Amino acid sequence: MRVDDLSVSFRAYAGLVKAVRGVSFHLDKGETLAIVGESGSGKSVTMKAILGILPKNGRIDSGSIIYDGQDLAKFTEQEFYQIRGKKISLVFQDPLSALNPIMIVGKQITEALTLSLGMSKERAKVRALELMNAVGIPDCETRFHQYPFQFSGGMRQRVVIAIALASDPEILICDEPTTALDVTIQARILELIKEIKAQRGLSIIFITHDLGVVANMADRIAVMYAGKIVEMGTSDDIFYRPVHPYTWALLSSIPDLDTKEALVSIPGTTPDMIHLPPGDAFSPRNKYAVALDFEREPPMFRVSDTHCAATWLLHPNAPKVEMPELLANRIRRNAEERIADER
Amino acid sequence: MLITLFIIVTIGFMVIRLMPGNTMYADDPDMSAAQIEVLRAKYHLDKPVPVQYVIFLRGLLLEGDWGTSISLYVGVPVWDVLKAKIPVSMYNNIVSLMISLPLGILSGVIAAIRKNTIVDYATSFAVVIFISVPSFIFATLLQYFAAFKWRLFPIIYDASATGAGKLHSLLLPILALSFSPIARVTRYLRAELAETINSDFMLLARTKGLTETQATLRHGIRNSLVPLANVVIPMFTHIMSGSLVIERIFSIPGMGGLMVSSINAPDYPLTLAILIFYSLVSLVTVLVVDLAYGVIDPRIRIGGRNIE
Repeated sequence: MRVDDLSVSFRAYAGLVKAVRGVSFHLDKGETLAIVGESGSGKSVTMKAILGILPKNGRIDSGSIIYDGQDLAKFTEQEFYQIRGKKISLVFQDPLSALNPIMIVGKQITEALTLSLGMSKERAKVRALELMNAVGIPDCETRFHQYPFQFSGGMRQRVVIAIALASDPEILICDEPTTALDVTIQARILELIKEIKAQRGLSIIFITHDLGVVANMADRIAVMYAGKIVEMGTSDDIFYRPVHPYTWALLSSIPDLDTKEALVSIPGTTPDMIHLPPGDAFSPRNKYAVALDFEREPPMFRVSDTHCAATWLLHPNAPKVEMPELLANRIRRNAEERIADER
Repeated sequence: MLITLFIIVTIGFMVIRLMPGNTMYADDPDMSAAQIEVLRAKYHLDKPVPVQYVIFLRGLLLEGDWGTSISLYVGVPVWDVLKAKIPVSMYNNIVSLMISLPLGILSGVIAAIRKNTIVDYATSFAVVIFISVPSFIFATLLQYFAAFKWRLFPIIYDASATGAGKLHSLLLPILALSFSPIARVTRYLRAELAETINSDFMLLARTKGLTETQATLRHGIRNSLVPLANVVIPMFTHIMSGSLVIERIFSIPGMGGLMVSSINAPDYPLTLAILIFYSLVSLVTVLVVDLAYGVIDPRIRIGGRNIE
């Protein structure tokens, strides 16, 4: 799948909200792409655009979403029926509200099979039980007939994953699947997603605001800010060789249990998406911003074959700026640990 | 529920009996003082009100005796009077409820799906009119146009009709009764469903490959029916009270006419029996709705079981 220069905007009372501004990325078969960003950075909106489930006031302004030779950005609702669930599935952020509270869990899984694939009820049930087993729900036969409120949060998320897997999709979009869960459960769900991916050869787009979560999940990472991808590269590129000040800030703000460093936070808040500042949207919060940042938006600079970032700091004429010392130390430490682990 | 009923009966009895003007037959010039005394003694009217109450309650509980009509149908047991009237009124009310619920739900769903379109605005406009204009206005209008001008329906109730003919002759009053409940259900369901449609599980239903219609039908409507059960109680009592007036307009020999004339007569036992009957129906409605919650919403059904 390939997303090119995608822009999405919403009509709101205050004006036009440009939620996604020219996002491009590609997803190869069998890889996990993580999209990281603060709330409101447009990561969920991008995914909704891919699935054609933007709210009624949302609109794709430009760009294309090429999947299997077809442009999803131009798909009608009718055409999306062939994609949703069958080719691309979504795992929701909050398993509590994503399940219908008054329908038995089993039926919510089989529904996808009987209604959109035309499978018989009996076969759908067999398949649903298999799925429930595969996502690690014990005692499937009994659980099949229970309602969501009889499940714990982690179990509910497993149900949501089972539903997403029901029609054997090729791409699984996980929209902050662990945000609403306890930390211990989080780890298990992440483990489950990894397992499923390996078993079924899925491609995964993993959306999160927590770089820590994606550290050992993602093959590649895209960092989003204010509707744009500001840095994209392999997991190693982002974690060991970050170049964008925003990525630096994000990485610095991951709590580190080994040191007594104070927790770093990014000053300020995300910009108003209706009246974006001129130039780089991150510049007002960026202590490394150069004058040009306030005037013109930086283009994507290539760092290596796999790594690119949108910051003027990469321009040949830009002043040489090193990443914050704290982060540099931390990266060095992590790298050393990794080498030690590998030995 | 029994306690509620007991309180209603007690208060009802006291209020009716303590109303001024309860010296029956006192000013009837055709009767001698001795005759009046005999009658008063026969109906226990000569005793203090609390004693009368005990006598009434004992008769009701031990023998199922609702008392005897004392002025409208002199000498006829109250129960026999009611027996003839209840089916007529309940027929109207229940058919009206049966019409209102599906029609209201249907138009509510349509308004919610087509929210902020001309269909929605038209529905909302109609809803406001049907809720604010009282049912007897519609009754008179229907009577004038549908029955008198166009001669589609009989002007007044035809007591001899049965089966389909009965429904035909009662259709106008039933319609007049149903407008407001239909509008209420529509308004309520539109609001509920419009909210449900925006919920995550509706989005999930669509991402798993269901069409928008399938998602709304299977996930949206049933979820918005849970709070709707709540409005059914006031709706049914509303229909019943509306029916009191409508029955007069269409000369239907039901509870409505009986209630008004029994108060005017005055015929205390009859008034009281009607009061108890209506209370009982309302209480049963509440009970049915409470039980219906369990059917619609598994959280109530199973959640309750777990607590035990």
